Amino acid sequence: MKLTSLMGLIVVLLLLAMFVYIVEDVPPFGEYNSPVNKYIKLPISVDADGLVASLDAGVLPAEIKNEIERIGFNKENYYPTLEEGNYEIKEPEGVFAVDSGVGWDVLIHEGEIYFNQPVKYYFIKEENGKLTVYRYNWPVRIIEFTEEETATIDSVTSGLADYRGYDTMFEETVIFSGAISVIMLLRRRGRL
Amino acid sequence: MNPDTQVYKRDIIIETTAKVMVPLILVFGMYVMIGTDGTGGGFQGGCILAGAFILYVTVFGTEEGRVKMPESWNALFTSFGLYLYDGSGQLALIFGLGTAQFLNYSAVWPVANVVGIAGARGNLVAFMVSIGIALTVMAAFVSQFFDLAWKEEEEMEAGEEA
Repeated sequence: MKLTSLMGLIVVLLLLAMFVYIVEDVPPFGEYNSPVNKYIKLPISVDADGLVASLDAGVLPAEIKNEIERIGFNKENYYPTLEEGNYEIKEPEGVFAVDSGVGWDVLIHEGEIYFNQPVKYYFIKEENGKLTVYRYNWPVRIIEFTEEETATIDSVTSGLADYRGYDTMFEETVIFSGAISVIMLLRRRGRL
Repeated sequence: MNPDTQVYKRDIIIETTAKVMVPLILVFGMYVMIGTDGTGGGFQGGCILAGAFILYVTVFGTEEGRVKMPESWNALFTSFGLYLYDGSGQLALIFGLGTAQFLNYSAVWPVANVVGIAGARGNLVAFMVSIGIALTVMAAFVSQFFDLAWKEEEEMEAGEEA
């Protein structure tokens, strides 16, 4: 066997192994409870003893609040504050409430003008005597509130044209510029 | 190169099929274009609308196709679609009374008083944003198709002369 074909085989095998390694982490299509689609784990771990009762009563313990603000979700980085009265702690409900009973949702009023309702922000879970904090992904809001907020059945359309309107506006501008460039490059005079 | 093969030949089957299919494709494109009540959206709908015109031009030639889609309409659609999208944002800016509400369709209170705030967002997305995207995409694709077809024709004519 030639050396080059052997090296090609090794490269193909390495790529295959890398593919399998990556695909293991990709969630199955449509499974919205998988961690990649639902929330991201934050590097916060606090001892649970004594804090569970406080969470059940609807008050965020100062330890968790300090940890969240320490890793960057604070007022200097323009994140909503966790002051008293700005948040609510609830049992998980809605489309994403599969692991109900083991955690608490922290909902925050972001101070919007329209549809100023508490939005799911953090998810606190009790695991092995420790409290772990997760951060909800932003599509959670689109999936849960798209029909109530935009009177649109298709969450893809509302996410593309309403929640992310700037993105789509300048995509359309790119298409417009492409058409103008092709006209300038290819069109001969007198063939209008 | 045999010049007889280059001459445009009429084919009754292809022409009839195209004449039947083009209006149907246009209606389907308009259904896909408004994406709030089902699937679809402006980009897909615009591509389907452009496909109808490209089918017509492919069958009947650039001369007759240019009658169906004149250059003036094409140029108008390209820029007017973009202006519809930007104009929906500027409507929110105007009716938001000076607050920074660009592209926040909830602020368009003349529509929101009739159909509700959520309905205003849905209707503006359906009838200004999606139609604007579809018009721009359709006109851009048809324009590029015409440019490439003309370039090919001119190269063929130049080759025959030489």
